[in-house]
Amino acid sequence: MKSVGRVLLFGPAACVVFAAVALAQSSGATVWDGVFTEEQVKRGSASYQRECSNCHGAALEGGDMTPPLVGGGFTSNWNDLTLGDLSERIRLTMPLDSPGKLSRQQNVDVIAFILKTNAWPSGTTELPPEVGTLKQIKIQATK
Amino acid sequence: MWRPMTRTALVVTALGTLWLSVGTSGQSTPPPSTSNGEWPHYTGDLRGTKYSPIDQINAGNFNKLEIAWRFKTDSLGTRPEYKLEGTPLMVGGVLYTTGGTRRAVVALDAQSGELLWVHRYPEGPRGAAAPRQLSGRGLSYWTDGRGDNRVLYVTPGYRLIALNAKTGLPIKSFGKDGAVDLKVGVVYGTGQQIDLETGEIGLHSTPTVVKDTIIVGSSMKEGMTITTHNNTKGLVRAFDVRTGKLQWTFNTIPRPGEVGNDTWLNGSWAVNGNAGVWTQITVDEELGLVYLPVESPSSDYYGGKRPGNNLFGESLVCVDLKTGQRKWHFQLVHHPIWDHDISSAPILLDVTIDGKPRKLVAQPTKQTLLFVFDRVTGEPIWPIVETKVPPGDVPGEWYSPTQPIPSRPAAYGRPGLRIPDELIDFTPDMRTQAVDNMKRYKWGGDYPYSGTLYNPPIVGDVKGLLGALNLGNASGGTNWPGAGADPETGIVYAQANMSAFTPESVAPPPEGFSDIPYQAGVVGQPFRLRVAAGTGTYADVNQAQRADVDAATSPATPAGAQPARSYNSVEGLSMVKPPYGVLSAIDLRKGELKWQVPHGDTPDTVRNHSKLKGITIPKTGQGGSVGVLVTKTLVIAGDPLVTTTADHPRGAMMRAYNKETGQEVGAVWMPAQVSGSPMTYRVGGRQYIVIAVSGGNYSGEYIAFALPAPDARDTGGGGTQQ
Repeated sequence: MKSVGRVLLFGPAACVVFAAVALAQSSGATVWDGVFTEEQVKRGSASYQRECSNCHGAALEGGDMTPPLVGGGFTSNWNDLTLGDLSERIRLTMPLDSPGKLSRQQNVDVIAFILKTNAWPSGTTELPPEVGTLKQIKIQATK
Repeated sequence: MWRPMTRTALVVTALGTLWLSVGTSGQSTPPPSTSNGEWPHYTGDLRGTKYSPIDQINAGNFNKLEIAWRFKTDSLGTRPEYKLEGTPLMVGGVLYTTGGTRRAVVALDAQSGELLWVHRYPEGPRGAAAPRQLSGRGLSYWTDGRGDNRVLYVTPGYRLIALNAKTGLPIKSFGKDGAVDLKVGVVYGTGQQIDLETGEIGLHSTPTVVKDTIIVGSSMKEGMTITTHNNTKGLVRAFDVRTGKLQWTFNTIPRPGEVGNDTWLNGSWAVNGNAGVWTQITVDEELGLVYLPVESPSSDYYGGKRPGNNLFGESLVCVDLKTGQRKWHFQLVHHPIWDHDISSAPILLDVTIDGKPRKLVAQPTKQTLLFVFDRVTGEPIWPIVETKVPPGDVPGEWYSPTQPIPSRPAAYGRPGLRIPDELIDFTPDMRTQAVDNMKRYKWGGDYPYSGTLYNPPIVGDVKGLLGALNLGNASGGTNWPGAGADPETGIVYAQANMSAFTPESVAPPPEGFSDIPYQAGVVGQPFRLRVAAGTGTYADVNQAQRADVDAATSPATPAGAQPARSYNSVEGLSMVKPPYGVLSAIDLRKGELKWQVPHGDTPDTVRNHSKLKGITIPKTGQGGSVGVLVTKTLVIAGDPLVTTTADHPRGAMMRAYNKETGQEVGAVWMPAQVSGSPMTYRVGGRQYIVIAVSGGNYSGEYIAFALPAPDARDTGGGGTQQ
């Protein structure tokens, strides 16, 4: 959270976007930097259970034909990629039966829920829906 | 209204100037063959070997391989596909394959990868309703040797299409304007025709073309959670390659008067479906015999509505090529309730055993048991012993007291588990956790056959036991990518997933969902519909259609249901000890395992685990299922998982092994994990290896590897030059 101090001069809405952008633009932003909020996780959890859990499982454990979204099975697929990559994969192909159904905000809320379930830390600023910003936050299995 | 032919023609015409240079005309040419450096069938030849005698690429130069060309399949449909499973064919300098969410067919220049033509067959709602979507495993090729060259494939909506191999245009004289509606003649119940639009049937695998006959199998929905046991009946049919006319039908659920009907007690043949043949079919062209690997009847984990052994469910069946008449059969699993299927191509080999030449058929399995028969008579080469297995207690279920177990060769993977000795033990804490976790599952009996192999499903409950642990059922051992073999030595090469450790549980589905009283699930957990990979990805699926399907098929979650918690892992790691995946060589001259090595890097999740720092862990191999390619000197297979290691950036490796010893002799980097079975060919004096990769965030791509041109020029051996 190296850049959060800078946002104090702005209004709340601008703060959220600016903070995340500033964070992501700071070199080496990763999922270890508290890039989402608990409130976002709550929203994401509801969207996840409604739209994703049928295939990926209520506990994100995956299924016979579906990859897990938690633990080694998840980080094996996504380690070293960015949240932007994950966001685009969801936008283009998920849910499988109606790709693009989730709004940008729902998409990023679900990502927050996935991050939380994988025990990456929450923070004080929401993960923003802008792909450009998400592309600058790396998924790293280890700190 | 759909006008598929018009659309196809337009696309082809746009590329028309290119196809003038493709193929031959008028002159008689030798039949395509791996011995000519071609790859004319999914498994290289009709015998399921995946063998090519080419050896320009060998142990000495494998690491020099570079990408010769690549073909991204994103635009072959309305959205990218992330599970590209195809294995291309190469005949006469042209590579043919399927790809994309519409299962389009493309022809590529085999040297450059340049697109020569593309064919698409939009099927609208019929494709969207298909039980088996995705771009499929590929296609088939036929030639009369005088310039009539055809490409044949099955659409997601179950139509058999014949295309002119030179142009990609439909063969108008085949079926109706180039298509045979395979749903016509497909039935459920006692013979009721399924609906041509929404009726449940499809196929991922390729048709098998032999002489002038096309053999086509069948596949239904994923059978773990289905609305009725009385669904579509499996069948295999043969068609005339010139006209598309039906030649014969083999019923995998025998009708009254047919052999095996009496294994469906209480007349239950009449009210049960499935038992398709969804994987590759192999043929002995000289003997005129066809080998059918039949899958499970409905439903996967509960067979109470079909008492009896249920022939020809999970049986290897040999039929006559000309008539489809059964010659012999062997049931690998009686009364199937584990989803073992028979998941890969039978392999035909001619081998001398104890001084006597034998004609063999060898069947790899998810259980890693290799069943070997005399392929003429069906007699087991080594005794296959009916072995007592434990009964179960699911209400209404019928259990076979025994299952057949080959005495030789020994399992080439992990058919069972010694508990606790084979549970994870990287640290003492992990072992303790694993032993604790085991208390949530049913297991027991003598190793291996009454412990975790053929351990029957239970009614699992969140408040008690969560399931019966099985190793190597739904996704274990060898799956659809299949094994390979060297026809000259009689050695089978098979990759096997060793870490598919799955609890099997059934529970009553939500009220009104199904006429099957127990389906995959756990009492007290939300009911979860299990669908086949790719369901909903077909190019013409749209939200409005899906909303209807959802409303019809998604049952409500019972009140008070708790989210699932998984107990079959420890700290995010497999509960079983490594190796997680192996490559094995099985010598059928002796019925012995020749060598076995872990296949695949140690997964990131093990190497980077916070609780394993400072602990040295030998190479674990990787779970998952991948195909092998066998050449004169090498066995080649890709990694099933992506890793990031000190030796390579994020990606997966394609590895080469010394066929004699199993020693890894080379590896080249790929941007994603392998998702299709590799193939090889030689054209213009250069050997190529083509492999499909996809998964995670990487959409489907065919990548062709070859030696740098100067190295290829300097090597002379192997295969006729095209």
